[in-house]
Amino acid sequence: MQSPFVRLENVVKRFGPFTALNGVNLSVFRGEIHALLGDNGAGKSTLIKILAGVHRPTSGTIYIADDPVSFVSPREASEAGIGTVYQDLALNQLLSVTRNFFMGRELYWGPRPFGLLRLEEMDRITHDEMIKIGINISDPRQAVGTMSGGQRQTLAIARAIYFGAKVLILDEPTSALGQKQQMEVLKTMMRVRARGDIAIIFITHNEIHSKLVADRFTFLALGEVIGSGTHADLAHGDIRTLMAGGVEMRDLEAEVADAAGSRSG
Amino acid sequence: MSTAQAGRQGRSEADRRRREGGLSGLKRRPEVGALIVMLAVVLAIGFASNGNAFNALGLKNNLSIIAQFGIIATGACLLMIAGEFDLSIGSMIGFAGMSMAMMLKWGLPFGLGEATPATAFFITLAMTLALGFLIGFIVTRSKLTSFIVTLAFLFFLRGVTEVAFRVINQSTQISGLPDFKQDSWFADLFGGEALSWIYSLWFAFGGNVNRFGAQWVSGLDARVVWWVVISIFAYVVLSRTQAGNWIFATGDNRESARANGVPVEWVRIGLFMFTAFCATVFAACQVFDTNTADAAKGNLKELEAVAIAVVGGTLMTGGFGSVIGVFCGAITFGLVANAVFFIPSIDGSYYRVFVGVVLLTAVFLNESVRKRITGGI
Ligand SMILES: Nc1ncnc2c1ncn2[C@@H]1O[C@H](COP(=O)(O)OP(=O)(O)OP(=O)(O)O)[C@@H](O)[C@H]1O
Ligand SMILES: [Mg+2]
Repeated sequence: MQSPFVRLENVVKRFGPFTALNGVNLSVFRGEIHALLGDNGAGKSTLIKILAGVHRPTSGTIYIADDPVSFVSPREASEAGIGTVYQDLALNQLLSVTRNFFMGRELYWGPRPFGLLRLEEMDRITHDEMIKIGINISDPRQAVGTMSGGQRQTLAIARAIYFGAKVLILDEPTSALGQKQQMEVLKTMMRVRARGDIAIIFITHNEIHSKLVADRFTFLALGEVIGSGTHADLAHGDIRTLMAGGVEMRDLEAEVADAAGSRSG
Repeated sequence: MSTAQAGRQGRSEADRRRREGGLSGLKRRPEVGALIVMLAVVLAIGFASNGNAFNALGLKNNLSIIAQFGIIATGACLLMIAGEFDLSIGSMIGFAGMSMAMMLKWGLPFGLGEATPATAFFITLAMTLALGFLIGFIVTRSKLTSFIVTLAFLFFLRGVTEVAFRVINQSTQISGLPDFKQDSWFADLFGGEALSWIYSLWFAFGGNVNRFGAQWVSGLDARVVWWVVISIFAYVVLSRTQAGNWIFATGDNRESARANGVPVEWVRIGLFMFTAFCATVFAACQVFDTNTADAAKGNLKELEAVAIAVVGGTLMTGGFGSVIGVFCGAITFGLVANAVFFIPSIDGSYYRVFVGVVLLTAVFLNESVRKRITGGI
C-alpha cells in the first residue's frame, strides 16, 4: 500500500487556555478524497488552517511525503503544494475570470511589477484549464461577479491546481450553493480525484455529499478524532452517528421531539 | 423524463451569455458613460459659444485647464480604484508650488546656493514623494481610513505652506520671479509651449489667423503634453501590467488580493506617491508658466479631482474605473469650468451648477454601465 502524502501526527493546537485540537492524527492519500467531518466548533477549520500555514501547531508534526515540514506563512504552504480554497474563495468579483485566475502570479514581459501582461496567453490558459475541469466559460474576460456560485468554486479549484497544488483543501465548498451547483462542485472534485496525483481534503456538514465522493473519513468532535476509516469500513449508521459527535441520531430525534412538545404543552 | 427536462438537455451555462460584437460590445466598456457626457458637453458648449470655444485661442485656453484637471484626476482615479482617497492633493499643490518658488527666490535650503529650475523641482519632488510615502505608510499601518488621514494632511500641508511663506517670505505670495522658461529648457518643459507644429500647420492650412493676417496662436501649453503622457502611462499601467492587476484587486477585495500574494500595502503606498507626483507636476506647470506662487494655490482641487474621477466612471468603493473615462471626464470638467469665458450670458456661479448636474448625470450613467459589466454588484 502507498504511504500517505500528508500525515498529521499528534497535532495539538491551543488558543490560550482553550484546546481547539487535542492530539489529532490524519493521513491523506493521493488520488483520494478525504472527508473531514464533525459538528460546529469541532476544530475542522483549525486543522486545515494549520495545514495551510495560517496557524502553527502548539505541538505535533506534519509530514508531507514522509518529510516533516513546518510552515510559517500561507505562502510557504502554498509553495509546498498545499492549495486551500476558503469559503470566501479569495476572488475579486469586479475583475475578469482571467485576472482572478492569475492574480498574484501573472504572466508578463519586462520588469516586475510593471511588466506587460500577456493577456492573450492568460485568457487561453484560463479557458483551457476551466474546460479541463468541466466548465466552458465563453468569455474569460467576463467579471467573476457574473458567474454562478458553483462556477466560482470551480474557478478557485482550477486555479489552485494549475499553480501546482498537490493537496487541495476545500472548506465547505458546497454549503452556500443550490442543489444543482452543489452537484457541479462534486463533479469537479471527482474530476480532480480522477487525475490520481492530488490529495483532496473535503470539509462538509453534508452526510450525503461526503458519502457520494469520499474514499476515507475522519470524524472530529471537541478537538479529537472520534472515528476514521474507508468507505468500506464504515457502516451507514456509523457515519451519521459520528457526524453528530458520537450521539445516536435516535436520541437527537427524541430531544427535538421533546423540545417541540414543551412548546405545545 | 418530463418534457420540461428534456427540453433543457444539451444546454450549458455558457449558452446563457449572448455573444456580443461591435456596438453592443462598446456598451459594456466602463468609459461609455463618461464619453457620452463629454460629447454632449462638447456639442453644447461649441454651439452656445458659436464655435469660439474651439477656435485657435479657445482650444488653447480650454486644453490648458483641461490638462490641469486631468493631471490630478488621473492620480486620484488610480488611487480610488485601489480603494483609497487623497484629500491632500490641493494642499500638496500649494506646498509644492511654495517650495519651488521659495527656492527660486531665496535659494536652496541650508545655504546651498542659488536654485535652478531643475534643482528646485527635484528637491520639491523628493519632499512630496516622501510626504506621499508617509501618508501611505500611516494609512496602511494604522488601518485608519485614508479619508481621515489625508484630511489631516489637507490642513497640515496648507498650514505649513502658509507658515513657511510668512516666516521666510513675509508675504503669502511670490510674484515677479524671473521668466525661467526663456533660458532654461527644464522650466520650458513645464511652463512653456508645446506642440507648436500643430498650430503652424493650422496656420499653413488657412486657419489660426489674427486680424493682421499673421499666425494668431503659437502653441499649446506644455501641461497638455504632461496630461497626455501621464494619462497614457496610467492607462498602460492600469490595464496592461501586473501592477494594474494588483491595483484593481487591492480595491476590489483587499483580503483576497493579499491571500493571493498581492503586496496590497505597497500598492497603496505607491499610489499615494503617484498622486503626490501628479500634484507636483501640476504645481511646476503653474509656477514655471506664471512665475508666481501663492499660499492658496490648489485650494479645493482635491474635490474636483475626485469629482472628475467619478464622472470618468471610477467607483467610489474601489475596484473599478478607467483612465480613458477620466480623460473624458477632465475634458467635460475643463470645458464647463471655462464656459463662462465663451458664453457671454452666463457667469461663474453657473460653473458649480453645471458641475452638480454633470456629476449626478454621469454617476447615474456610469452606474448602469457598471451593472451591465459586473452582473449587478
Ligand atoms: N483564533 C482562535 N482563537 C481562539 N479560539 C479559536 C480560534 N479559532 C478557532 N477557535 C475555537 O476553536 C474551536 C474550533 O473552531 P473551528 O473553526 O476549527 O471549528 P469547525 O470545526 O471548523 O466548525 P464549523 O463547522 O462551524 O466551521 C471553536 O470553539 C473556536 O471557537
Ligand atoms: Mg469551519
